[in-house]
Amino acid sequence: MHIIVCVKQIPDPEVPPAKFKIDPDTKKVMPPPGLPPVISVFDERAVELACRIKEKNPGTKITAITMGPGKVSDVVKHALAMGADEGIVLQDKAFEDSDSFGNAHILAKAIQKIGSYDLILCGRQAADWDIGQTGSILAETLGIPVVTVAKDIEVAGDKIKVSRVMEDGYEVVEAPLPCVVTVSNEVGLPRLPSGMGIIQAARKQVPAWTAADIGADPAKIGPAAAHSEITSLFIPTRDTTCEVITADTLAEAAVKLALKLRETKVV
Amino acid sequence: MNFDYTDEQVLFRNMAREFAEREILPFVTEDDRNTYYRPEIIQKMADLGLLGAPIPQEWGGLGTDTVAYCLVCEEIAKASASVFTTALTVHVSLFQMPILKWAGDALKKRYLPKTTKGKLLGAFCMTEPNVGSDSASIETTATQSGSNWVLNGSKMWISNGGIADLLLVLAQTDKTKKHKGIAAFLVERTMPGFASKDIHNKLGLKSSNTAELSFQDCKVPAENMVGQVGDGFKVGMYALDNGRTSTAAACVGIAQGAIDAAVKYSQERIQFGKPIASFQLVQELIVESIVETEAARFLVHRAAYLKDKGEPFTKEACMAKYYAAEVAARSATKAIKVHGGYGYSGEYPVERLYRDAMGLLLYEGTGEIQKLIIGRESIGIPAFA
Repeated sequence: MHIIVCVKQIPDPEVPPAKFKIDPDTKKVMPPPGLPPVISVFDERAVELACRIKEKNPGTKITAITMGPGKVSDVVKHALAMGADEGIVLQDKAFEDSDSFGNAHILAKAIQKIGSYDLILCGRQAADWDIGQTGSILAETLGIPVVTVAKDIEVAGDKIKVSRVMEDGYEVVEAPLPCVVTVSNEVGLPRLPSGMGIIQAARKQVPAWTAADIGADPAKIGPAAAHSEITSLFIPTRDTTCEVITADTLAEAAVKLALKLRETKVV
Repeated sequence: MNFDYTDEQVLFRNMAREFAEREILPFVTEDDRNTYYRPEIIQKMADLGLLGAPIPQEWGGLGTDTVAYCLVCEEIAKASASVFTTALTVHVSLFQMPILKWAGDALKKRYLPKTTKGKLLGAFCMTEPNVGSDSASIETTATQSGSNWVLNGSKMWISNGGIADLLLVLAQTDKTKKHKGIAAFLVERTMPGFASKDIHNKLGLKSSNTAELSFQDCKVPAENMVGQVGDGFKVGMYALDNGRTSTAAACVGIAQGAIDAAVKYSQERIQFGKPIASFQLVQELIVESIVETEAARFLVHRAAYLKDKGEPFTKEACMAKYYAAEVAARSATKAIKVHGGYGYSGEYPVERLYRDAMGLLLYEGTGEIQKLIIGRESIGIPAFA
């Protein structure tokens, strides 16, 4: 079985929003300088789930692919250290500022270049933009089914049973292979890479593929091909006001408070 | 010249940081208050390969470079200097590293893989009630008797002394030969004649074990000697070169922990209507620590880099240890000042960092001893006596 996991590098979400700046001209988020990027938390769980499937199904191979500017090989190395077998980086100036459709096209082309695959795992959304479309559009582009928001996958021959997270529990659906599954945080804590996993990952070569290498269609990628446009981008401000309720007795104060809460539609 | 970390170094640092957040930090305050040593943390570190990361793979380790090991030391000590002391500086640097360099293959084969897997915990035993900085004057004796050596004497302030399965013990075989008569032995805890007594009421490092040891006609098989008679002092000095490097890295971790806490608190604490971070004198306290800690980190990495190149690193390890320990103590002090009364209480981590830094000022040689070694190595005239 061959599992391909799509992993994205994002600014560390643990950093408080106030530290980020927004460039009003380009409408881009500018993370604080010197902040090391991390693997998107949902994608890390996708790697974890792939590793669990590999443990239960010996002979499974995991390939981690990532895309982005800068030293994105770090996230692939992290996935390799966790237990992925191979890694690929997709890097080209032409890829930058693609929207979900553009990204799905690039990933689909890279996956077609890889050739054979049984299962493609993505995070249910990237933990930076939280859009959550790429996995589904990737499946559509490849012409295969997609199951979203998974917390567990059980392989049964040429099918999989996927536990999907619902508001009040989970449902189990069956899907034929190959297919795309987007993975949710309910998978649980991803494993720490072992020391030996790190040693092996550090020595693995991670090839970088360009738009030409994968045969990406220039008309489908980059900002010109985007189906969506960011018209405004801002950090929300939260205003807090404090009003002290005064009254002669506690009972009176309680009544005043209750009325106030109803008036402001808190209750 | 290259300031970039390798992929391996970055991955080890990240893994150690995540491990500390998941497995150490949830218990660190409670264990410090209860002076509780938590062995399961040590076993989990072994499972990840952290108990012997720089030991070559043929002896059960991972064969990482010393820079990667120092980054692990920094991250673990940032969370808990007690865990660092138990698992890293004592077990790896002071115990495994000299065995790796000085022991014969048979001893290494018998013991090292078990120590990297966490099956056996080590200790390094040099200091005695009357012998601290003047380590050539060891009074514990070793007398040959047939195929055994018989050890008599006592050891003091031995980290892991009460919990280690295996102890690397320095003893004098011939007092007239001074440091050239010292030999090193691997003593199993179960060997008759060995006893330990835990030391309580320490200022810091409360979740690590410290003990005094006694050897009364303790018979050790001759094959358990590490190196030859007369090598013991060199075994000890080599252990300390390694221990100083890892301890310096840990001091950087403590200093960084103090900085992180001070930065966070100064951004949250409001006085005169503003976060206290907006006051210049508060920024000064933090900035001084940031600069000094970065300088200390470079000293650590340079000592580690020289070791990896196979070059002498005694002077660089002493420089790193001397400076980093001072920086750890200063940064923790300044972090307490930033926190005010809250920093003086146990509610925030900075008072523990301060108490632990006091321990790291002392072990593997005080700053004063480091200065004497740096002086001897630089000037050529020893000023020890």
